Amino acid sequence: MSQMKSVAGQDLRDMFSAATSWLEKSSADIDALNVFPVPDGDTGTNMMLTMRSTMEEAYRAPDHSAAGIAHAMARGALMGARGNSGVILSQILRGLAQGLEDKESFSAADLAAALQISAQIAYKGVSNPVEGTMLTVMKDTAVAAQAQVDAGNEDIISVLENTVSAAGDSVANTPMLLKVLKDAGVVDAGGQGVYTILEGAMRYLRGETELMRLRKPQIIVSDLPHVVSQPQSIAIDEVPYGYCTEFLLKGEKLEPDTIKKRLLKKGESLIVVGDDSAVRIHIHTLTPGNILQLAAKLGTMHQVSIRNMDEQHQDFLEMQKERMPTTDTAVIAVAAGDGLADVFGSLGAAAVVPGGQTMNPSTKDILQVVESTFSDKIIILPNNKNIIATANQVQSLTEKKIMVVPTKTIPQGVVALLAFDYEAEFNTNNEIMEKALSSVKTIEVTRSVRATKINGLKIKRKQPIGLLDGELIAVGDTNTEVINQLLSRLDLEKAEVVTIYYGEDAEAEETEQINAGIMEKYPHLQVESIRGDQPYYSYIISIE
Amino acid sequence: MAVKIVTDTLSDITSDLAGELGITVVPLYVRFGESIYKDRVEITSEEFYRRLVSEPKLPSTTQPTPNDFIQVYETLAKETDEILVVVVSSKLSGTYQSATQAKEMMKGKCRIDVVDSLSVAMGMGLIVIAAVNAVKDRANLDKAADLARNAVSRSHLVAYFDTLKYLAKGGRIGKASGLLGSLLSVKPILTVKDGEMSPLTRVRSLNAGLDYLYNYAAGFSKIEGLAVEHATTPDDADKLVERLGEIYPKERIYRSVISPVVGTYAGPDALALTVLEAEKK
Repeated sequence: MSQMKSVAGQDLRDMFSAATSWLEKSSADIDALNVFPVPDGDTGTNMMLTMRSTMEEAYRAPDHSAAGIAHAMARGALMGARGNSGVILSQILRGLAQGLEDKESFSAADLAAALQISAQIAYKGVSNPVEGTMLTVMKDTAVAAQAQVDAGNEDIISVLENTVSAAGDSVANTPMLLKVLKDAGVVDAGGQGVYTILEGAMRYLRGETELMRLRKPQIIVSDLPHVVSQPQSIAIDEVPYGYCTEFLLKGEKLEPDTIKKRLLKKGESLIVVGDDSAVRIHIHTLTPGNILQLAAKLGTMHQVSIRNMDEQHQDFLEMQKERMPTTDTAVIAVAAGDGLADVFGSLGAAAVVPGGQTMNPSTKDILQVVESTFSDKIIILPNNKNIIATANQVQSLTEKKIMVVPTKTIPQGVVALLAFDYEAEFNTNNEIMEKALSSVKTIEVTRSVRATKINGLKIKRKQPIGLLDGELIAVGDTNTEVINQLLSRLDLEKAEVVTIYYGEDAEAEETEQINAGIMEKYPHLQVESIRGDQPYYSYIISIE
Repeated sequence: MAVKIVTDTLSDITSDLAGELGITVVPLYVRFGESIYKDRVEITSEEFYRRLVSEPKLPSTTQPTPNDFIQVYETLAKETDEILVVVVSSKLSGTYQSATQAKEMMKGKCRIDVVDSLSVAMGMGLIVIAAVNAVKDRANLDKAADLARNAVSRSHLVAYFDTLKYLAKGGRIGKASGLLGSLLSVKPILTVKDGEMSPLTRVRSLNAGLDYLYNYAAGFSKIEGLAVEHATTPDDADKLVERLGEIYPKERIYRSVISPVVGTYAGPDALALTVLEAEKK
């Protein structure tokens, strides 16, 4: 394949024009990634509209050099920037224009250098930069481009391909950096927008215009575990969000930095960008009037927009409700320990009710979670024999359809949830899940609370004891000894998978020894250790 | 003149089988870095899976161009005036668009009907074979196309994936995204529903996966066709065929290999089973 070593102004314009159409196709999908209270409701639409204004200006540019086009684009972006993401995007384009200054055409090295400036300027425009947003994606993108150039790559297409790939990885990583994204199980919308624009530009240079017409951009999926909604997180947030206030300020000798300093304490999510003749301002404030008064003294205001964010938040909650499928069956599990809650969440449980041995949740606790789950068909996994009856009570208190799969242990709950069939009817699923229970054996290791004699065992206080499917049948001096006793009672020839959930008081070294011991003794088994964080039980072991 | 049948490589109809059936298979494209290969023509399945695992960057795939289809249509038009085209689900690939655009560009030389299989792999392969059988029974284009469209809802593809990594990276995950991110190592079982990948359930081991696939087939009262495919583990697929022999004549089970293009998303160690349910009378 022939290399592309430089790009002229017209191609610069056309590649971003193609990128704009590409972005347009997925702007609704990007909007759907929005997580409140990350500012601006429709990131995809805002970025798309910003790009449109950018390109209108680019087509009006009298100077067709790369520098001329880039300058016009930056101007267009600033004039038409919408929302937080649009403003940051305008900064990225401003950086590009700075980097391409005086260039008739640009090389891969020029592009990499320009992207570096873009990232820097983007960070500078935001008063309080947050990682895990489009800023991070832009930074990672610039680093990747520079690395390619440093490695001697002169082919702009190939450099862009690697850059786009890095941008994609960066987008996929955003939930790791920003908890709100992780909780919502989505990637950052602005980052996705940046990725889509770059991808569109790359595809254009690759000559894939036909393909771009037929296909649409893909939203990056993060492969992070979905975090379950805990009941306490459902409480309505009482803190008011105030007003999202945006406008373009035109005048003479405007000093963006000074304006920024004066507005800094007047609200949240402040962005002030621009030059001495035009400045775009974005702020979340409880008193938009004060901001406008201040601005009116400096110049003329254009495209003024003030939106009530509490109203937006309400709309968002409503939308979430609508978006949630109400016909699909939801599964709710009872479990103690953050680790176990994460396990159930990662396997698709809609919610986890905290509780277990010695801290049985009440019917009301479970009911509350049932009512707040966006589904009217709910399967409950009690995961403890003392909670089954409580769970059975729930049906009489709600209009939703409830089924309780009588899981007595955590491993039973896990196999039941795994067996969940996405295509099956509510009743059938209940049967499938109940049937799965017989496929697992449960070992639980804890410590005796007092000295006693039971099942022919003499047990001292605080001695490790072991239960097999709920029956106390082993005692020993160490956890390992108890586990080995119990394992020897089982027919492990037919077993395939052993999962060890270690509790909050289990020691890492011991867990590793137990894991290694089982693997050595039974080499055909697949053994996994998972952090369960459960209280009281040092180990819960599932044998499938 | 008998109807000629065209499909694409995603049907997993190998060139040997295509020769036997007397049909034409249009290849999609697989791209590793800067090298572009015609699926199964310029890259073998073995070579492909070796590189899928060893190369740092995942390959990408592209549909055939309208021109690829025009060339096939023109060659066939010399022998027939009716062509039936059965292609991969329009929700998974743009192949349907290419085949349809090519048809429009042909301008009445020959009657062509393009059927969206809403499936992939042998899920589509068995639809193609059903159409071939109809043509053998002297069905004309309309009848054969009707039969293919009718077979779409009777074709059930279920697949065992060793990992969802490749499907997720390729952006084709569809509704199966709910299966991502499990903290336990689980093997997803997927199906194709309404033309898109959709989750069925999860198992913890290969054996449990084989059990699931067997029980899935055993759950049908009347089976018209069965197909079993592997990506890199032929022995596991053979084991499944052996077991399926209990419910269906073993020698009539189609054995194939998951094509490189699908392999880009399915990854190594995947297994697929297709049941073509018999028509309810």
